[in-house]
Parts: sequence; C-alpha cells; structure tokens
Amino acid sequence: MKVSTTKKLRESVAKAFMWMAMFIVFGFVISVIWTVFSKGMKAMNWDMVSKLPGGGFYIGKEGGFLNAIVGSLYIVGASTVLGLIISIPVVFFLNVYLKRDSKLAYTARMAFDVLFGVPSIVYGAFGFTIMIYFGLRTSLLGGIIVITLLIIPIFIRTMDEATRDFPRDILDASFSLGATRWETLRVVLRQIAPGIATATLLSIGRAIGDAASVMFTAGYTDSIPTSLSQPAATLPLAVFFQLQSPIPEVVDRAYAAALVLTVIVLILSISGRLITNRFSKNKI
Amino acid sequence: MQKTRFIKDKTAQAIMFALTIISILMVMVMFVGLYLKSASVLEEHSLWKLLTSSEWRPMKGEFGFLPFIASTLWVTFVAILIALPISLLTAVFLTEYAKSYVKKFVFPALDILAALPSVIYGVWGVLVIVPWISKHVAPHFMDFSTGYTVLAAGIVLGVMVIPLLVSLFIEVFSSVSMELRECSLALGATRWQTTKKVLFRRTYPGIIAATVLAISRAMGETIAVLMVCGCVIGIPNGILEPCYPIPALIANNYGEMLSMPMYEAALMFAALILFFVVLVFNLISRIVLYRLEKRLGS
Amino acid sequence: MRILKLIIVLVTIISLVTVSSCGGKKSNTQTGGDLEGSITISGAFALYPLAVKWAEEFQALHPNVRIDLSAGGAGKGMTDVLADVVDLGMVSREVYPPELEKGALPFASAKDAVVITINANNPLASKLMRHGISQETATKIWITGEYTTWGQVLGTNDKTPIHVYTRSDACGAAETFALWMGKKQEDLLGTAVFGDPGLASAIQADKLGIGLNNIGYAYDEKSRKPNQGLLVCPIDRDNDGNISPDEYFYDTKDDFIAAVAEDKYPSPPARDLYLVSHGIPKNPVVIAFLEYVLTDGQKQNVPVGYISLNEEKLQAGLEKLHKQ
Repeated sequence: MKVSTTKKLRESVAKAFMWMAMFIVFGFVISVIWTVFSKGMKAMNWDMVSKLPGGGFYIGKEGGFLNAIVGSLYIVGASTVLGLIISIPVVFFLNVYLKRDSKLAYTARMAFDVLFGVPSIVYGAFGFTIMIYFGLRTSLLGGIIVITLLIIPIFIRTMDEATRDFPRDILDASFSLGATRWETLRVVLRQIAPGIATATLLSIGRAIGDAASVMFTAGYTDSIPTSLSQPAATLPLAVFFQLQSPIPEVVDRAYAAALVLTVIVLILSISGRLITNRFSKNKI
Repeated sequence: MQKTRFIKDKTAQAIMFALTIISILMVMVMFVGLYLKSASVLEEHSLWKLLTSSEWRPMKGEFGFLPFIASTLWVTFVAILIALPISLLTAVFLTEYAKSYVKKFVFPALDILAALPSVIYGVWGVLVIVPWISKHVAPHFMDFSTGYTVLAAGIVLGVMVIPLLVSLFIEVFSSVSMELRECSLALGATRWQTTKKVLFRRTYPGIIAATVLAISRAMGETIAVLMVCGCVIGIPNGILEPCYPIPALIANNYGEMLSMPMYEAALMFAALILFFVVLVFNLISRIVLYRLEKRLGS
Repeated sequence: MRILKLIIVLVTIISLVTVSSCGGKKSNTQTGGDLEGSITISGAFALYPLAVKWAEEFQALHPNVRIDLSAGGAGKGMTDVLADVVDLGMVSREVYPPELEKGALPFASAKDAVVITINANNPLASKLMRHGISQETATKIWITGEYTTWGQVLGTNDKTPIHVYTRSDACGAAETFALWMGKKQEDLLGTAVFGDPGLASAIQADKLGIGLNNIGYAYDEKSRKPNQGLLVCPIDRDNDGNISPDEYFYDTKDDFIAAVAEDKYPSPPARDLYLVSHGIPKNPVVIAFLEYVLTDGQKQNVPVGYISLNEEKLQAGLEKLHKQ
C-alpha cells in the first residue's frame, strides 16, 4: 500500500508542477500584453497613426509615426508578394514533381530548415554587404530584398507542412485523366489554399515585427518613401529608436507604435489560427 | 496541342527546379559571402586567438571575441534553464492530461507568445523585468544593479523560446503511439510514471534535439536582448552582471564597420560564427528529429 | 489558376508603380531655378537637432527637395558617407587621417559641447554643483576607475557609489569626451548605453548616475533648461575644487553656449561639428544645402542651442565646396 501512495503522491506533485508551469506561461503572456496595452493606450491618439513625426523623430515632440506604418506596409506587402511567387513553385516542385523520398527533396528541406533557423541579424548583415556591393543605399528596396529572403523559408516550411499530407490519390486521379503536372497545380492550389493563407499570415507577422534585418538595410526616416531608393521607417525600429529618448513625447510615440504593432500581429495570429481550425481535419 | 502542354510542363519544372536549387544555394552563398568578408581579420589573427582572447580594442586592431561568446553562452544558458522545465511540463500536460477546454485557452496563449515581435519583448523587458531585477532581485546580492543584466536577457529570451520548445515537444510526444501509453497504464502505472518512464525514454533524443534548436534560436535573437543586456564589454562573472552577446555586438556596431579596416571583417566574422553555430545545430537536431519521427512511426 | 493570374496582375501593377516612382531617383536637377531632388543625411546625435532645423528651413525654401535624416552616431555617419550610402554624414569629432585618405571632406558647420550630466535627485547634487568635476577627476572616474564613490569626487568620506555611464555606439560625443582626457572612446569605463537620448534616459532613471551628453539632449529645447531630472555638472577648469561664478554658466542652454563661444568651456569637450561628404559634392541639392548651412543656416545655430562658427571657418568651407 505504501507503494501506491508514493505513486499517487508523485502523480499529484507532478500535476501541481504542471499547473504551475501553465500559470507561469499565462502569467508571462498577460504581463507582456498588459504592459504594451497599458502604456500604449495612454499614449495613443489619432495623431499617432495619421501624422508624421514633427521636428525629427528623435527629439520632435509633435506628430505620430505614420512614416513607420506606411513604411512597414510597403516593405511587408512587397516582400509577401515576392515571397509567394518564389515559394509556391518551390513547394510544388518538392511535393508534386519530386518523388516522395528523393534525395533532392531531403536536401532541399534540410536547407530550408537551416535557413529558417538563421537569425535575422545574419540576414541583415548579409543583406547589408550585398547592398554595398551593388551600390544600393539603405532604402525601401534594400528592406524588401532582405525581408523577402527572411520570409521565404517561413513560407516554404509552412506550406510544405500543409502539402505533405496531400492525398496522393487526387494527384493520381488527375494524372490518370491525362493532365500534366503543371496543370495539376490548379487542383493542388485549391486544396492547400488554407495552408497558403496561414503561411502568408505567419510570414506577414514575422516580417512586420522584425527589426534586426531592416536596421541595416531599410534605414530610417521621418517621411514616407516615394521611391524604392529612399529610406523607409518601420514599426519595430520606430519603437526601438524612440523608446530610448529622454523626451517623454518621443517615448510615447514608441509606446503607441508598440501597441499598433502588437495589435496587428495579434490579429494576424488569431486569423491564422482560425483558418487552420476551420479547415484542418487534425485534432490536437 | 499536346506539344504545348508538354513544353509548359517541362518549362515549369525547369523554373521550379532552378528556384529550388537557388534557394538551397542560399545557404552556401551566405556562408561564403560572410567568410569572404571576414577574410582580412582571419588573415591577421589566428582563429584560436580570435575566439579566446578578451582584448577588444578595434582601434588598435585587437579583436578578442571571448567576452561576446561568453555573454551569448551565459544568456542562452539562463534562457534554457528557465524555458526547458516550463515547456516540458506544459507539453506533457497538453498531450497527456489536458481536456479540450484547457487546450482551447493554452494554444492561443502560446500562439500569442510565438507571434509577438522581439521588439515588443524588448519593451516588456525594459519596463518590467529590468526594474524588477534592479529593485527586487539585485539588492539581495549586491549594492546596485541597473537591472540590465544576464538575468534580464535570460528571462526575456526564455519566454521567447517557450512556444518553440512546446510546439516541438508536442510534435515529438504526439508521434509516440497511443498504444504504448495504454499498455503502460494497463499495467497499473500512473500517468506521470508513464510519462517519465515510457514517453521520455522513447523521445529523449527528440527532447534534446528540440532543446538544441531552441538554443540556436536563442543565440541569434537580437533586438530583445540588445535592449536589456547592458552592452558592457567583458566576461560576465555572474547572472547579475551586464553582458554583450554577439548579435548585440553586430547590431550596435554595424554602422561603424567600414571606417576602420578590419572592424567590418571582425563583425562579419561574428556573424559568421553565429551562422556557423546555428547551421550546425539546426542540421544535427533536424536530422535527429526526422530520424526519431521515422522510428516512432508517425 | 485564377489565384496565380491574380498574383501576376498584382505584381505587374506594383512593379509598374514602383518603376515609375523610381524615375525620381536620379533627377536631382535644377529645373528653372527651383531645386528638386532628395538627399540623405545620417550620423551624429550631436548634430541631429540642428540638422533637423536646417532641413526644415531648407525644405521650406525649396519645397521640391526632400531631406531624409537619421541618427546613429558619428561612426555610422562616417561609414555611411564613405560607402556612398548617404549624401552627407554628420560627424561630431575630428576626422581621422585614414578617413581623409578615403576621401572624407569635412565642412565645419557648428560648434557644440559634451557636458557631464548627473541626476537632479542625486543626494549630493548641490555639493557636486558647487565642487565641479575637473579633468583629473573625470579621468579617475571614466578611465582609471580609481574613483568609485561620490565621496572621492568631493574629497569627503561619503561611500555612496558612482554609477558611471558611457556610450555603446561609436560616437563623437564619447570620442570627444575621451579626448579631453587624452584617451579614446574605447578606453571609457561604465555601462554603455546606445545613443545620446538613451544615455540621458539612463541618467534620468538612476539617482547615482553620471554620464556624458551633447547639449542637445542635456538641455530641453523649448525651456532652455536641463531636461527634467537632469543637471549639468560644471567642469572645474582651474582644478581648485570650487566653482566660481566665472566658472558657472550651466543653468540655461543660452548661458552655456555663450560661454562656449567665449572659450570659457574647454575645447575638447567642446568641439566643431562637421557635415562630411565623400569628395567634393556633385549633387546640386547637396551643394545648395551646404551653401545654405554655411551662410544663412548659421542663423539657426544659436536659437536651437549651438554655437555659430566664425567667418574664417565658414569661408574656408565655402571655398572647399566650390573648388573644382
């Protein structure tokens, strides 16, 4: 009987620890969200999202961070489109054209996993050297290039996961009807559309929040870029640069920017989750 | 008519093939690119000296990376120390114990943690963690601390890494077949005993691989760490000392790079070290995870 | 298939739009007397507030010109301009020979100073303000680390520790400050904070902190007084442990810059601020901007809180600019 009580005790202790772990996790989430929201809401007003910073973003007391909002939108929009164009063909190639256990597929997936794990600052440093080599300046274009490089592995990996479980029968049915692989694309696309949607949302979320890669390559400015060769402000850098100022109005802009960034990312993340839940047959 | 379709297919295949190959080559290109850029500093100094000396005087051409490597290691260690138990317990709870309504809450929470940009974690770190350390933790141990310490960076990193670890662990745990668990329970083991003796034993390579991946993620994290680490050059002597991890070094000084001959090469070398370590860790852990999933028969 | 087509259409539209706006990239011309084009400037935090004012005024004079400003430290400014990443670099220290060899062409455009900042709520603040900090003391705080308590600074037995701060980014402020003590930025001890604003914030948050700042961040632009929570610690020039009325001019920005202009504040840490270009500028907008800075722009110096340069230096700059 002693044996069973120790067993039970261990069980309860383990359970207790697990609940603690959960609470800690929740605690962190709530703490982070609460900090951002409380500081951000206090600083937030309509000016913040509709005006450019007045008098220089480091010391100017008026205005908002419209420059960062638009800059981020430009960069993320362009990168997402470019990323999709490059990633979708690759995913198709890996899953439809290649055999299941081909060496090339294995190596490719390995390479993408590695690229997925490369820190964004390495992308930034690498992107910076490429830019200098080609004579580009810190600009919208530079930011777009680096962010595209950054999110391609994310796209590929997420879409690959979705496509791997693709039922072979549908492909076979299509082939038996005489369609080429290129034409079967249509079928596959329709099937994995939710996967593409989730991947897009995920990548946008990652792209819009990343600071280390744009630091070197997109620069920063008070105005909205009107051409690809002008520097572009981004939301994460808006937070980073303005947070450290001794001038309270500037710090407020940082908090408001952090709030906007967080809200955008949360919306993307929730939508992503909703899509997966709606369309996925997998229970967890 | 048939011919055009055939041509379309083949062209498409060629383009896709090219894109795939280019993407794979990216890894090489990045490695080679960074290596070429670091060439000048590698010529002048032996690799050993670069990695083990603590003299960092760029003006004089001395580049000892040890303080930065040590800082990175310290911070990563603290982060994993915090994240590992929490993530492990959470993952076990979610796969073995939880009812679906609990999962409904936890998964969104983890999603949020995973999605938050690192700058936001940095803000949280500066507003919450740093003052907490400065006012409540440090006074017990020392005279004063600004709060910008290894511990601050470790906590922030730890929180950032939790979602990654949990999702990897869940992946690994889910691949163990239900039957194995049921056998164990049928033999009279409690849930926890089953977990400890059956689950962990079968999946410990996976657990280790996941941890290794998390480590590589933690080592590369830049902005959040930059905002709370203190940026003081030197080997940290304890977790309440400020530190200067490699990504922070690169981020702070990238602007300076070109004005001094070997400074750029040195910073690119730092990026190369990071890239190399991440590359190796990722490759190994991915291979292990892959083999494990195959073995457990998912 | 439809999705693919949609994507292709979107991409085409976006590329058309961007290509057409790219047209504006190289057209830095003078069309019929009205300047148009865009220039980018980056560099020292020190010069940033003044550069903002110059840019504002210049863009008001020439509405078709766009000036992009960012700050990242003098080191970054120099790097950027030598790499042709920006048109002009803001540098708040002397230009080094290797940089001159690479083609750096400095134009002295203003003068300001680095000051020692302490927290306004420092328990020993009033004593410190009367005692001042001499070059020797500063060396013992920031270079040798011999002084670790405020008592040592004041010559008393007070054991309250000093929390020393410096700059983590390569900047003119720290470089100039170190030069005052005969050293380089990398020799400075202390917790390193990024950027001038960052350092000022750190001192605001730390009662026992001591740091170095540019005038632009130590003093509030509108009120002309030190920023809230900060005090500017006087420099004890004659090393007598006492700040005489002659040595005290730190209450407002205007008092201070007047003193710097009269050489009452040592130079370094007062120094010339430069706009640096890579070789003689060819871009008409850059040339026009530099001309403005060296002539009418100087009227903005004092109101913003900097010292104007004397005629000689300005003339020399203009000559350099127009040398063909």
